[in-house]
Amino acid sequence: MSSWTAKLREAGVRALPPEKLLPDSQPAYMTSAIYLFGALTIGALVTIIASGSILALKGPTWWHVQSIGHFFNSIHLWSVELFFFFMVVHLWGKFWMAAWRGGRARVWMTGAVTFLVAVPCAFTGYISQQNFDSQWIATQGKDGMNSLGVGAFFNVLNFGQMYSYHILLLPIAVVALVSLHILLVRNHGIVPPLPFSDSVPGAESKP
Amino acid sequence: MGGNVEEALVASLINLNHPAHYVSWHFFQMSVPNMVVIVLMFVVFGAALFLRAPGARKRGGPK
Repeated sequence: MSSWTAKLREAGVRALPPEKLLPDSQPAYMTSAIYLFGALTIGALVTIIASGSILALKGPTWWHVQSIGHFFNSIHLWSVELFFFFMVVHLWGKFWMAAWRGGRARVWMTGAVTFLVAVPCAFTGYISQQNFDSQWIATQGKDGMNSLGVGAFFNVLNFGQMYSYHILLLPIAVVALVSLHILLVRNHGIVPPLPFSDSVPGAESKP
Repeated sequence: MGGNVEEALVASLINLNHPAHYVSWHFFQMSVPNMVVIVLMFVVFGAALFLRAPGARKRGGPK
């Protein structure tokens, strides 16, 4: 009887054989630029994590007192802007392709949940700025949180709690979800374009 | 000196050193920077539908 490690390895290789995990060719329809935005989102995420790690090492007030800190803070902010920009274009592209077709429901769902988790991940950054802007946002946000009934558990006036969410808990969730999303994409393959015949009224439908 | 000239040139393109302007129409209210980003997303999305990915020809994609 094989051990759980062997079973796990065999299941992993069955689901994602090396040629599927790291393919060296893709279908012809992937030459459209709309297919770039998933990879661009990942690129922005890598920049966010790298710049955020430097900011975390130096502490939340560093960017106020040193120009190099301000530089990395700006890199962090603008990579987040690009992350959401690319992610929204990616989402629009996949929505209009109906990318959940062909057993890809989990691919679509992990992408949608990633978007939902990334929003509070970014918002907790705005209240970690250590300036009047973050104070203003936190005092406005607390009313929103209280109206939802979650103010006691998610207290936006508690800097330590929000900072922990921003630099640890939510980034781990985003990276884990993105990793799962990519593995599912590799497992199921890139969604093909919608059949042309179905979209033209009166056109012949091929089986 | 050179740095100051470059700084002045870049700063003169768009002055961002003021609170954002807002567009208001009945219940609708949005800052101009947010509107610019949304319009840019539509433009990029539209362009991406018609453009070929860089290097596609080299990889043997459809002509």
